[in-house]
Amino acid sequence: MLDQPPQQPLVSIENLRVEFDGESGPIAGVKDVSFTVNPGETVCVVGESGSGKSVTSLSLLRLVEFGGGRIVSGRLWFRPGEGEAIDLAQMPAEKMIDLRGDRIGMIFQEPMTALNPVFTIGRQLTDGLRRHRGLSAAEADARAIELMREVRLPEPERRLRQYPHELSGGMRQRVVIAMAMACRPQLLIADEPTTALDVTIQAEILGLIKRLKREFGMAVLFITHDMAVVAQLADRVVVMRNGEKVEEGPVERIFAEPQAEYTKALLASVPKLGEMRGKPAPEPLRIPGAPEPVATRPASVSTTGRPVLSVKGLTTRFPIKGGVLRRVVANVHAVENVSFELAHGETLALVGESGCGKSTTARSILRLVEPTSGDVVMDGQDILGLDAGGLRRARRNMQMVFQDPFASLNPFMRLRKQVAEPILNFDLARGSELDDRIAFLFDRVGLPRDFMRRFPHELSGGQRQRVAIARALSVNPKLIIADEAVSALDVSVQAQVLNLLMELQVDFGLSYLFISHDMAVVERVSHRVGVMYLGRIVEIGSRADIFEDPRHVYTRTLLAGVPIADPTQRMLKESAEFKPLPSPVFPAGHTRPAPVYDEVSPGHLVLRDD
Amino acid sequence: MVYLLNRLLSVALTLFLISIVTFGITNILPGDVAMMIMGTQSNPEALEGLRESLGLNDPLLVQYGRWMGGMLTGNWGESLLFNEPIAPLISQKVLASGLIVVMTMMMALALAIPLGVWAARHRDRWQDTTSSTTALLGLSMPDFFIGIMLILFFAAYLGWFPSSGFVDPTENFGGAVRHAFLPSLALALGLMAHLTRMTRSAMMGILNQDFIRVARAKGLPERTVVWGYALPNAIGPVMTVAGLQIGYLFGSIIVIESLFSYTGMGWLTYQALLNRDIPLIQSTIFVIAAVVMLVNLAVDLLYRVIDPRIRLG
Repeated sequence: MLDQPPQQPLVSIENLRVEFDGESGPIAGVKDVSFTVNPGETVCVVGESGSGKSVTSLSLLRLVEFGGGRIVSGRLWFRPGEGEAIDLAQMPAEKMIDLRGDRIGMIFQEPMTALNPVFTIGRQLTDGLRRHRGLSAAEADARAIELMREVRLPEPERRLRQYPHELSGGMRQRVVIAMAMACRPQLLIADEPTTALDVTIQAEILGLIKRLKREFGMAVLFITHDMAVVAQLADRVVVMRNGEKVEEGPVERIFAEPQAEYTKALLASVPKLGEMRGKPAPEPLRIPGAPEPVATRPASVSTTGRPVLSVKGLTTRFPIKGGVLRRVVANVHAVENVSFELAHGETLALVGESGCGKSTTARSILRLVEPTSGDVVMDGQDILGLDAGGLRRARRNMQMVFQDPFASLNPFMRLRKQVAEPILNFDLARGSELDDRIAFLFDRVGLPRDFMRRFPHELSGGQRQRVAIARALSVNPKLIIADEAVSALDVSVQAQVLNLLMELQVDFGLSYLFISHDMAVVERVSHRVGVMYLGRIVEIGSRADIFEDPRHVYTRTLLAGVPIADPTQRMLKESAEFKPLPSPVFPAGHTRPAPVYDEVSPGHLVLRDD
Repeated sequence: MVYLLNRLLSVALTLFLISIVTFGITNILPGDVAMMIMGTQSNPEALEGLRESLGLNDPLLVQYGRWMGGMLTGNWGESLLFNEPIAPLISQKVLASGLIVVMTMMMALALAIPLGVWAARHRDRWQDTTSSTTALLGLSMPDFFIGIMLILFFAAYLGWFPSSGFVDPTENFGGAVRHAFLPSLALALGLMAHLTRMTRSAMMGILNQDFIRVARAKGLPERTVVWGYALPNAIGPVMTVAGLQIGYLFGSIIVIESLFSYTGMGWLTYQALLNRDIPLIQSTIFVIAAVVMLVNLAVDLLYRVIDPRIRLG
């Protein structure tokens, strides 16, 4: 037999090629990829979007066929139990469904959509068990409760009868993991399982996967774009790009001595928490292969004189209506008594987890949502007191760059027009002056001038974000609010856009209010940092204050949750218990006492807990 | 509970507005009940006397109060055309047409849902085109034409179903269904197009959802994934469209019942309009409006049973 499979590994992928139908013939999503996974081993497949990492994992379960893909050639050897290896690529579909969810479990990226909204948690946890193991309803329920205990979901009995929308994202991801673990698979495929989660929850989930892997001796194939997660979890790493394997090796080797240029660039693009220690100002990332960042004059922050933006006691609440008369029964306290100042040429980062109020703070400053109370003074002008016309004029000085460059550009408008629109709106330039200005902006954000005639769908995510930045710059604003502006981008693109933002700050003396959940990115770009939790700033200070001398317990928790892109510094705790997040909803009329801050050093304020 | 109360309140309010409109319109039209009874050539004095005795000279508000009071207490007056009390007349016809409406909806959904699901599973392939074409064919032909074709084929040529007539379902249910079958099918073929398109687009959205991939990754058979996992999520919008189509259905029913000589609400409305039987017109419009609204309320309540996310509040 020539087809004698290798004897050792649990999974052996050989020369896999997957094609999709394109407009002009087939497009290869995966070209000639081979690697193995041994029993009990964690293999991380890392790469950026379009690298084929997800397609590879979906091929192993033969789910890629449902997305229009075809396994054209290659072998997918899998060894179920003690038996002979079988080639999954050749398995008939009706045999394949017996393996799925039984021998191989899979978890996906987005916990909010991974559960069927119309069925109870109990039903979704048990239907796999009943199908593969033939358990009765009562037996399956008992097993489901056991599974929920294993993934540390509190009150498992109650969860059985709950629906997905009653659970938080972290809880749902635990349910999804419990579902994948139901039949004790030999292999768990995890496709970006923590990308959509907050850092503290990410740490919990990664710790959970690690513990389950050790307890049940299962192998894990972990798909991610995040080098820090790789460093924390992997035994071996497969680096992919454009459907091909770039490099493969033990995790320590990949991080210490990367061989491929691409791996080196990828590692260099990842901001590492702690690497800015002792540096006075933000500093561009050095990316091999990319042009050396412009010699960095330290950004000049004018600490004297009037601040560009001054926010005092900003409070924004959203009413919840109920009853027959639709009266306000409660309020979501989204932003609660937030105060800070932002100097000329300075970057203040607001960090926190989802729901902490950082984006609402940004929107309240621009009055994209109306704040309940407080003061916002921009360049000496009281923003909250302005009428509609005054507000329109004031917004010229404060522009915003949003998270999703796919959604923030009009798909029907050419890019030139999108960048020209704010200029025409404020009537700042016309005719050839307008043309010159747009050409200058395109040059400045590093886009070729012939892109002006294009439409957004013809650009990549990073290029679109550059257009969004050019649009924000077009009216010469003093303040740019960047709301998770690099979160949706691949790491190498993220690094380039971050460098661009830092460069523009030096050149134009811009002030940034940088909203982010990513502590490592924040450490890179900011002069000062405010940490938000449940609508409040719990700690604010210089970057060194927050990252080198964190005082508030929440700041410390947040920093402790950040995975470090260094396999020699593993910090995952396997016992991470579930911690529910308190609710920001309070009954109508509820007032929270004004926050009291202790100034532990000049400019470093820490919230005194009530 | 609060939700149900709110909805019932709004149903009551809408019915009140409809009652004003129907009452108003029939009073604005030239010719009144007295003239309908006695004919246009009648003695003006006798006519005036009848008006007085029928209370037609009272202020409109009083007349409306009397009419509304009658509607609420089940005294709907007498039909001028049939010389019968209206309430029992209508309740019998509602039953007859109710059978057609229920059968139409069942047939339309039974045809449209599988067709839409089939199209969604094979989007942009020949199955999808076939499904859309079939559905559009039903939509593009007028109901009465479909009805005639059905009569020619199933009644005249094959002889499987009667071509006309009505059987009381309380006396002979099988016969009633046989008589209602062709008119219902004619109506269902017309409704099918929207429902198919709706099913197709809802299913296409759902089949791309993560939880469908999760269900497949659990090893559930494709049949369970599509019909057990995806369809319950897609059925909501389809039900909503079906509910809205009930209103449209009452328009088509007038034509179809006349074509099949099926003596239901449609036929009765047609007769009432043709003979300017004002009390009967008022009552039929009012009943049809109430039925349409109650059906839509039922659909919304059903929606809440299917989808737990909108149960709160």
